[in-house]
Amino acid sequence: MHLLIQAIILGVLTGGLYALMTSGLTLTFGTMRIINMAQGVFVVVGAYIAFTLFNYLHIDPFLSILISTPLMFGLGVTLQTFLLRPIRYDAHRLSLLMTWAMAIGIEGILSIFYGTDFRGIITSYQNTSVTVLGYQFPLVRVLAFALSVAVLIGMWLLLSRTKFGRAVRAVSQRESAAKLLGVNTDRTAALAFGVGAATAGAAGAMFGLVSSFDPASHYDLIGRLLAICVLGGLGSNAGAITGAVLLALSESLVQAEFSPAWSSLPFYILLVIVLIARPQGLFGVRSRGAI
Amino acid sequence: MLTRTPLVRTTLLAALVVGMAACGTPAPTGSGGGSSSPLTVGISVSLTGDFSNTGKAAQLGYQLWADQVNAKGGILGRKVQLSFADDASSPTQVVTNYQNFITRDKVDLVFGPYSSLLTLAAAKVANRYGYSFVEGAGNGPSVFAAHLPNLIDAGPATAINGAQVWGDYILSLPQSQRPKTAAYPSLDDPFSAPTADALQKRFEAAGIQTVYSATYPAETTSLGGVIAKVASTNPDMVVSGSQDADGWAQVQAMIQQKFNPRFLFMTNGPENPVDFPKNVGLPNTEGVFTSDVWTYSAPIPGNQAFVKAYLAKYGGAPGDIDSTSAETYAVGQLIEAVAAKTGKIDNQTIISTLHQGSYQTVVGEISVDQYGAPKGTQFLEEWIGGKLTIVYPGNIAEHAPVVPKPTWP
Repeated sequence: MHLLIQAIILGVLTGGLYALMTSGLTLTFGTMRIINMAQGVFVVVGAYIAFTLFNYLHIDPFLSILISTPLMFGLGVTLQTFLLRPIRYDAHRLSLLMTWAMAIGIEGILSIFYGTDFRGIITSYQNTSVTVLGYQFPLVRVLAFALSVAVLIGMWLLLSRTKFGRAVRAVSQRESAAKLLGVNTDRTAALAFGVGAATAGAAGAMFGLVSSFDPASHYDLIGRLLAICVLGGLGSNAGAITGAVLLALSESLVQAEFSPAWSSLPFYILLVIVLIARPQGLFGVRSRGAI
Repeated sequence: MLTRTPLVRTTLLAALVVGMAACGTPAPTGSGGGSSSPLTVGISVSLTGDFSNTGKAAQLGYQLWADQVNAKGGILGRKVQLSFADDASSPTQVVTNYQNFITRDKVDLVFGPYSSLLTLAAAKVANRYGYSFVEGAGNGPSVFAAHLPNLIDAGPATAINGAQVWGDYILSLPQSQRPKTAAYPSLDDPFSAPTADALQKRFEAAGIQTVYSATYPAETTSLGGVIAKVASTNPDMVVSGSQDADGWAQVQAMIQQKFNPRFLFMTNGPENPVDFPKNVGLPNTEGVFTSDVWTYSAPIPGNQAFVKAYLAKYGGAPGDIDSTSAETYAVGQLIEAVAAKTGKIDNQTIISTLHQGSYQTVVGEISVDQYGAPKGTQFLEEWIGGKLTIVYPGNIAEHAPVVPKPTWP
């Protein structure tokens, strides 16, 4: 029983981080109907920024988010403006290739600057954990989880309470109608892509704290993030959170209770079942965005 | 007729490919001492991907050897020219790289890549073309189980025999001090898992109870659940079948979950003198064991000169030198030994010569069986006072083993 609860704790904490990584993917799909294959590499860039700021300027990764998120926002807006906007006439198909090209290009640039060694952000509290009723709560994971929740709440407020959020929702529901109502759809799409990249920047700092990474880490990440998104329903934030927690929880439980060799299996079985029974995903909507 | 065209085309193409392969198969090259053309050597190295940290160390060792041998005038008057290609730690890419070296570049010799996984795939390609395959970093059982006649491992011990030094040490302890229970969390990898398995069988036969044994796939990003399970069984000893990053993740998860086994042995990870302390934190290295073939202070003939030359070329401190650099350097030393002994340097001579006798290298005396498996052993190292220290066997130990493992700081 002790082991079961410990595994649940670790699973939920990891799930929070996955949810944060996935939220950007959800946002860009919701607004632009494109699947951003570069979301994984954005997370890795975020990790490298945090790594650099920590190792050279001794800025704690939690503080460095204040620097990395605006940088990542700028990167996202720039990439969207120069690489995605020109192909919007056939965004559904071409964007998949374009964002994948971005991912590989950024991976190459990271390799040039940082090399291909595995890196880690090793802080003084790296291995600290808090014991509550005999259960271990690794501090970095708790903090990463808390930050993820805070950013997700912030995103929810941004989307539901601001003019920008209304514009995003309008574009996601019907772009032509939004345009008619005076929404600058190009700008909204660029900003949404930027916000998506910024969340990856924050998630990246946390990712760098909890695991080792190299420029190629994004391949494993994007596979998981897409699976989470598809399970939860593309474009749905609630879906992303549910999917992320289900993935991390099932992995942690199977690792602990059965065998690590099978840890990914239950999630993907669930994914197949959901896709058969409900192709739009758990929280997805068939015809329009559901952000 | 149109519908049959692709089939016809495919058949023709297949015939063409087979024909070209037959014509294109180069006779393994390399001539006697008379030639003054450079001796070209193709080597695939893992500069990116999972093995990149140690893969680069492999390249450094090869390059150092080539520079030294060229400074002396080359081998039998021929300058050594190394060509490196990155395999991204992928068994598919490594095959392509060696095929390119042999069929396109028509190199004289090929040397091995890093890791058992890649060595096995690559050695088969070399064997197909009649090339010798001397390698320094593939000693998992699957490499030798392939029964390749062209393979020679320049490490002094196979992975399984090498790690048995941990078994030798544990079973040398009086019954009262030995661990009673053990856990074996291992990476699903042809080096790591079989090495941990072999130790498990030996310890079980000696009465040490197994309380946990499982392999995790390479893509496992969080080992929290695995270590939670290990911790729940509270073993006296953990034998981790690990490589680099997963080894660090195991240590981090153990610290976070406040689980401190009395004995912690890891097949790989702690032997890297730079990356291990950097990624787990130097104070956390204390008391962690690993086995290794080489360390800068090992009392092996020629080792001090190697360390000096390495530092002169690459800088750094002796403790920063990865043992893989020494192993790949030893590959070159074997080639030199063949030339010195026979006055020839061709693939067939390399294969027939190295399968007999023993040869002194910086990683020790090398002698191999008919499938290239080295017959020697490794030594046991422990992190003591922030430094990798030889602790067993006693005749070369720099310090007595420190057990039980101190608690995590």
